[in-house]
Amino acid sequence: MLLEMDSITKSYGLVRANQNVNFNLRKGEVHALIGENGAGKTTLMRILYGMESPTSGQIKIDGKPVTFHDPTDAIKHKIGMVHQHFMLFPAFSIAENIVIGGEPKKGIVFDRKQAIEQTIALSEQYGMPVDPKKKVADCSLGMQQRVEILKVLYQGAETIILDEPTGVLTPLEVKELLASIKALTAKGKSFIIISHKLSEIMEVSDRITVLRDGVVTGTVNASETNEEQLSRMMVGRELIKLERSEAKIGKPVLELNDVTIVGNKTKPLLEDVQFNVHEGEIVGVAGISGNGQSELLQAISGLMPIDRGTIALQEKNITGASVKMIRESGLAHIPEDRYLWGVSKEATVSDNGIMGHLSRTSKRGMLDGKAIRTLVSGWVERFGIKTGSLHTKAQYLSGGNLQKLIVAREIAQQTPFLIAAEPTRGVDVGAMEIIHGELLKRRDEGAAILLVSSELTEIMKLSDRILVMYEGKVVGELDAATATEEQISLLMAGGKAVGQA
Amino acid sequence: MDKLKSTLQSLVQPLLAVLVGLLVGAIAILIVGGDILETYREMWKGAFGSFYFLTNTLARATPIILVGLGVALAFRAGFFNMGSEGQMVLGALSAALTALYIPGPGWVKIIAAFAAAVVVAGLWSALAGWLDSKFGMNLLITTLLLNYIATLFAGYMVAYPFKDRSGSAALSQTEMIDASVMLPKLFQGMTVHVGFIIAIVATLALHFFINSTTKGYEIRMLGGNPLFASYGGVSRGKLMVMSMFISGAFAGLAGVSEVLGTQYRFLDGSLTSANYAWSGIMATLLANSNPIGTAIASLLLAALQTGGMGVERNTDVPLEISSIIQAVLILFISAKFTISFIKRKKAGAKDGSAV
Repeated sequence: MLLEMDSITKSYGLVRANQNVNFNLRKGEVHALIGENGAGKTTLMRILYGMESPTSGQIKIDGKPVTFHDPTDAIKHKIGMVHQHFMLFPAFSIAENIVIGGEPKKGIVFDRKQAIEQTIALSEQYGMPVDPKKKVADCSLGMQQRVEILKVLYQGAETIILDEPTGVLTPLEVKELLASIKALTAKGKSFIIISHKLSEIMEVSDRITVLRDGVVTGTVNASETNEEQLSRMMVGRELIKLERSEAKIGKPVLELNDVTIVGNKTKPLLEDVQFNVHEGEIVGVAGISGNGQSELLQAISGLMPIDRGTIALQEKNITGASVKMIRESGLAHIPEDRYLWGVSKEATVSDNGIMGHLSRTSKRGMLDGKAIRTLVSGWVERFGIKTGSLHTKAQYLSGGNLQKLIVAREIAQQTPFLIAAEPTRGVDVGAMEIIHGELLKRRDEGAAILLVSSELTEIMKLSDRILVMYEGKVVGELDAATATEEQISLLMAGGKAVGQA
Repeated sequence: MDKLKSTLQSLVQPLLAVLVGLLVGAIAILIVGGDILETYREMWKGAFGSFYFLTNTLARATPIILVGLGVALAFRAGFFNMGSEGQMVLGALSAALTALYIPGPGWVKIIAAFAAAVVVAGLWSALAGWLDSKFGMNLLITTLLLNYIATLFAGYMVAYPFKDRSGSAALSQTEMIDASVMLPKLFQGMTVHVGFIIAIVATLALHFFINSTTKGYEIRMLGGNPLFASYGGVSRGKLMVMSMFISGAFAGLAGVSEVLGTQYRFLDGSLTSANYAWSGIMATLLANSNPIGTAIASLLLAALQTGGMGVERNTDVPLEISSIIQAVLILFISAKFTISFIKRKKAGAKDGSAV
């Protein structure tokens, strides 16, 4: 065994984040660590990387017991970690970011030329091309991740921990990453991957260990398992198969006509966008992020003015109307970036919950404490939101629980039209199941839903109709029943509409 | 339970800051060769040592509390209202002029003076809010600059058109108001007046407004995350003008209570040289914009200032010892600001690089 973690336990006060966890890694292997949010995956890896010390248990490298006090110790033992949120200096070049901590020197001066040469040598050795002089700020997220991996390799890592590596990547970048991982294992490197994206895990891993509530529920060979079994091990019960009834399409609820936002770049942010969303249907908008989806949602919800075109909601012209008026006309909105738009982190769970519900939770200008408690604690129960109390500040909730709170709040508006932007970003399988179920329920109740997601699987699973956006335009409309992932991917990358090919 | 906890927490920080301030003050006392214990004993006596000194401290705290509350409301909405001084001065001037020139019985004049102060100061403050929401003029800058206009304008008014020419003194001041308009003292022969009661009631009222009303809720959300508020349908512009109006109105209350309760006229420079407005802002910052905490921090600052006078009277240590302690408080505040600024910067950078 290259690496063993024996009966690791980590307690924070009364909370057991890890309990007698056994985990090991063979040389040249990809070992995935999966589990729901809060199952203890990240804690276990932080222990392995020296960022936390275990309450009890032992780490062995090549059979010899070791103790890590900080990440430097872990790096000395050839363990490297790429964090979920990249830890790069955006203002510095790729080469400078890679050699940091072990900079080549000429006397006492930083030898930039050699840093660049070493970066090129490294990137050629491992087949991961980068432009060493390019600033990190100008790199795509996929490129930034490549830089992170090269940085870890530069430090001499034999074991590389990747925490949620594909969360922010485009489908193409995910493919490249998985290929890189395979190439590196062929060169003898070993990987531990934390993830909850089962399809990717199945594709790249040799073995999979599942954690639930801090306890290992099993370690299986990827070749001997399937996604259903893994989900069961993660959630602890059978997942309910989503029942999809036939769509009962009614009259149009949202109508967009030639909506254009010029912006200050050479290309318009939105160009002649035209589509309707009807009662009882979910229209999915697919696209690589940054192709106008954000602007589209902000335009519809009144957060960004449009330059041309009209938007109507419930046959009422809402072009240029205030957010308040649009919401009163029947819009609810699960925003794409929950921290930016969806909550006030300093405010409590109940304060965050009643945004947009004030008419129901106040009397004569005063907040009605009882009504607020009933409303919000109802959601906490129904969506299984894990929070200390209704007075806990939102910043202390995990991302997934916060997302559930936002989804609950917006679905509870019971509006005829709902925007669901990245409704399950960063949430675990169990929560995803709940959220998907609620969205389909709203659809069956006759609501019109506009779903925007960077997850193609989510789009394909929920939508009745799929629109593809590319560079601010709707470049394709597909029937979800017959569309294939390849068709959509091609359109997302700016290819020609299928059927003309 | 959590609310009580957060109120208590808002008290810990000012107390801690004052404690560190006293420690640094002790070093300063040592340097000038004073006796630490004696100096602080005199300071305590000067602030709370007798009923007279206690009421003196409460009288000084009155305008500081009122200004502080106004600033606290604006801060909670996310707006840096730095214009309390000008708002207070204009409020005081309008109160004095109303009390002098409105006909009618005393109580009518009192009500009119309060109304005039609140409305004028409120509008002056709302003007800055309107300039920001309409034209994007930075509120922090405009409120700071409007201070000069207000104080110089008020100075002109009492130096020329409304100057008191009855006495022999060449001071820039209005005539003295009629005895029927003066706010009653709380105790015979003591300086503290009804204004202090108004300040306490205002503290509780603001606490209630912020925490229990829908407008207060919207203000808190706007201050917490403006994008979240706008996403939820809260109109920033309207709320900005409104909260700036209320914020200024509090400063106006400070002005009118000083004129009707202490000075009985508008005297140029009397409100600015006492630094009421900046003390109020400091109290708010120390208490993290919690209304009750702001009132307590205001009392502490007032005690520090009246105590400093006691020190000067009875020891060789100069009055400036209080300024040193206050300077440490300001350091504390700016450190807190810098940290939250860095945090915000970091968060911003993360969002930015995620594009």
